Amino acid sequence: MMLRYPRWPIHSALVLASFVMLVPFYWVLKTSLTGDNIYAYPPSLLPRNPHLFFYVDVWYAIPFARYFLNSVIVSLIAVAGNVVFNAMAAYALTHGFRGKQLVLMLFLSCMMVPFQATIIPAYLITGRLGLLDSWLGLALPQCSTIICIFVFKASFDAVPRSLIDAARIDGLSEWRIIWHIMMPLSKSAIATNVILAFIWSWNNFLWPLIMTRSADMQTLPLGLARFLSYQEDTTGALYAFCIMVLAPGLLLFLLAQKEFIRGLTSGATKG
Amino acid sequence: MNWRLILLNRFVLVPGAIVVAIALWNLYVATHDHGIVTGRVVDAAGRPVAGATVSLWTYNFTTYEQKAEVKTDAEGVFRFTDNPSHRIQIGAEKPGVGRSQRIPVFLYFRAQDTTLDTPLRLSAPG
Repeated sequence: MMLRYPRWPIHSALVLASFVMLVPFYWVLKTSLTGDNIYAYPPSLLPRNPHLFFYVDVWYAIPFARYFLNSVIVSLIAVAGNVVFNAMAAYALTHGFRGKQLVLMLFLSCMMVPFQATIIPAYLITGRLGLLDSWLGLALPQCSTIICIFVFKASFDAVPRSLIDAARIDGLSEWRIIWHIMMPLSKSAIATNVILAFIWSWNNFLWPLIMTRSADMQTLPLGLARFLSYQEDTTGALYAFCIMVLAPGLLLFLLAQKEFIRGLTSGATKG
Repeated sequence: MNWRLILLNRFVLVPGAIVVAIALWNLYVATHDHGIVTGRVVDAAGRPVAGATVSLWTYNFTTYEQKAEVKTDAEGVFRFTDNPSHRIQIGAEKPGVGRSQRIPVFLYFRAQDTTLDTPLRLSAPG
């Protein structure tokens, strides 16, 4: 007879951990609905007289729709770039070729270089391409990320070699093998790429701060900083803005969380 | 191609529902943004006050500034027709009767048509 351990200790620990992680989100949401000062004592756990008027204030205080449009377009370009370029790179890395280990080592070592260290060459390259202050320029440095290449590689490695050989015998080109064989079998990796690329691009602050010149090209994180500069005494509106910036990323994660978790864990175990 | 499978999944339904909600909201806004604000002015005993001056202040992110003034009719009813803001204050006064407190009014969009639930109550100062 199999020995079963009681589950309540681990469930209790998970509930406690979830509580600790969710409290800040709850507090931001509550403050956005009430405007209560965060330092008020005694603190009220439940919202008193909640309303949505701080969200209305934010909508009219800054050109929110324009910032939102910029963030959406830049994120979509980054997501498309990540899916296409990372899939191509990962497919190449599933093949054996001379210097493959060196390329893998280079990729891994590049992960240790922070973006702040490469921001000046990135700026110069974007400037030479004439893409400063444009949507494409905002998305360009985020169009491929090494972590996401490895997510695709892990997924592609799990595809049986015989399937690729059969496709090749049937006359499919390498392009069509990627898009018609590998990609449909890697939906979890695609979801992981989409979510990670979207969230990284959506939350990016430093690159848009450096390369945008006109107020019309700013994204939501820059809008938040701008909002802080002249609305410093409006606690409720500030928190409402935070919720409005967070909401699309949260929604996307909730929509695709199953595929996201599967994509991150595929390739983690062998056999 | 199975269109039912493509359309009836959460990646289509949730964004679709959001788009529909936004469209309906914009339709509502377009039909209710005439800037009309109405209400009543009463005295301390609750009787309608005719000829009271009612002022409308709009918020400009730091302070409220006076935007318009109207007089109440014989029933004590006032009506502004050009409120441009989403955050306003309304107050009334009539010499010899008294003055009301400024009531803050929050609207869900600029120039939203609204009617005040509670009348402005004039009371003698002091």
